[in-house]
Amino acid sequence: MMRSISAEWLKMRRSKMTLILAALPVVSVLIGSANYYLNQEALQNDWLSLWTQVSLFYGEFFLPILIAICCAYACRLEHMNQNWKMIMAAPISAAHLYLAKLLITGMMILFAQAMFLGLYWLAGTLLFLPSPFPVKTAGWVMRGWAASLSIIALQLELSLRFRSFAVPIGINLCAVFIGLGMYINKLGLFFPFSLLTIGMSVLSQDKLAAMENLLFWLMSIAFVVIFASISICRLKNNDIVQA
Amino acid sequence: MSSTIALEYYKIRRKNIGLMLILFLLVEMTWAFMAISMSIARNPDHAAWEAVLFNISYMNGLFMPIVSAIVVSRICDMEHKGATWKMLAATNVSRTQLYAAKYVCANSLLLIGILAQTALMIGFGWLQKFPGMPFGQFMQFVAGTAAVTLAVAALQQWVSMSVKNQAFALCLGMIGGFFGLTAGLFPASARHLLIWSYYLDLSPTIYVYSEPVGAYAAQPFAFGKMTAVLMMAALSYIAGNIHVNRKEI
Repeated sequence: MMRSISAEWLKMRRSKMTLILAALPVVSVLIGSANYYLNQEALQNDWLSLWTQVSLFYGEFFLPILIAICCAYACRLEHMNQNWKMIMAAPISAAHLYLAKLLITGMMILFAQAMFLGLYWLAGTLLFLPSPFPVKTAGWVMRGWAASLSIIALQLELSLRFRSFAVPIGINLCAVFIGLGMYINKLGLFFPFSLLTIGMSVLSQDKLAAMENLLFWLMSIAFVVIFASISICRLKNNDIVQA
Repeated sequence: MSSTIALEYYKIRRKNIGLMLILFLLVEMTWAFMAISMSIARNPDHAAWEAVLFNISYMNGLFMPIVSAIVVSRICDMEHKGATWKMLAATNVSRTQLYAAKYVCANSLLLIGILAQTALMIGFGWLQKFPGMPFGQFMQFVAGTAAVTLAVAALQQWVSMSVKNQAFALCLGMIGGFFGLTAGLFPASARHLLIWSYYLDLSPTIYVYSEPVGAYAAQPFAFGKMTAVLMMAALSYIAGNIHVNRKEI
């Protein structure tokens, strides 16, 4: 397993993915903070108001797309030059191969989330917000990351299935809107994309009830297990067909 | 030139790019129509063509940059994946022609998407029995959306062709979608520097925020903005063409 992870890490090392991972948090926080600064009379809740501005578009629309790009990149090398056949013939199990990709992509998104939180703190400090930094936002970021893992598991399945780099990203864009619809219809806990909205407290900053919180974590774990099982079974049982 | 363009269509004949594009836009339209229907239920004054034109223009700010990135990336990535760019460059067709053929191919597909979008909007309006039929505004919508898409696609093709890793091209599409969606938050001077914000700027209708309720209003065709967009398209295309042509494969 460790060798699979280090192999995945090696593939990412010179990919300059850090630039892509950093771009989204930077743009989100810059635009959100500028909007907060220009509308301070209407936004009177200090750090929480700033959170609504910086996290709305980031968590609702663009973090899932960033996840899709990372997952597509994690599978890109295998889709080139008959590499699937080569990697499936190597003495590593399909489960290890998939889990290594899941873990590395998870780490990439954790980096983006950490950067987002750091920039949020920096923006609030530079805006001289009087109240202390709300530690609960760190919890929201971590909960968002947990929900991201279920999206990663789903996107990895799509990226393993489609040779094209762009198709899984298009499907992801459509799923974002389905997720938003499910959240509005109070079915958010049953779809990974709306789970992210709940996890990051993007549309509502109310504290989750104990039961909701439990269900959130259970569903996140369940989605990861379900999508990972589907992908691993497919890798084990289906023939590799490459052009 | 026509044979080069025909070859581009031949290469993508089994990729179902057109179908994929229509499916993505269908999701956008379904979402927009649901939002408009809810808005009409709350305020019957919104039962007008202006509501449809504004909402679709606004959502295009998010969707079109990403959809353009996907279409252009698929057309360019096949040369990277198959290492065929080198082979194409060795034929007796100039690289400028190859670059132009890809641009025409991608934009023709995107134009079909925009026309399909317009047809769906008209269908929705008829079903909702909106009064009148603003042909002029629909022409303005198609012209504006197509012009901005020309510029966005030129930028995407530049990145997709010059950077092998398509993650960068898709990231540009994502950032473009972000700017397109949040365009209304920027002051006009900053907004006009960002090509993606013109989806809203060239929309035939605007939403005027006023107490107690906002209202839709017609926005006259802006020749200046249209010229700016077409110049950005030409600049992105020429710069991309020169850069890709001079780059060693």
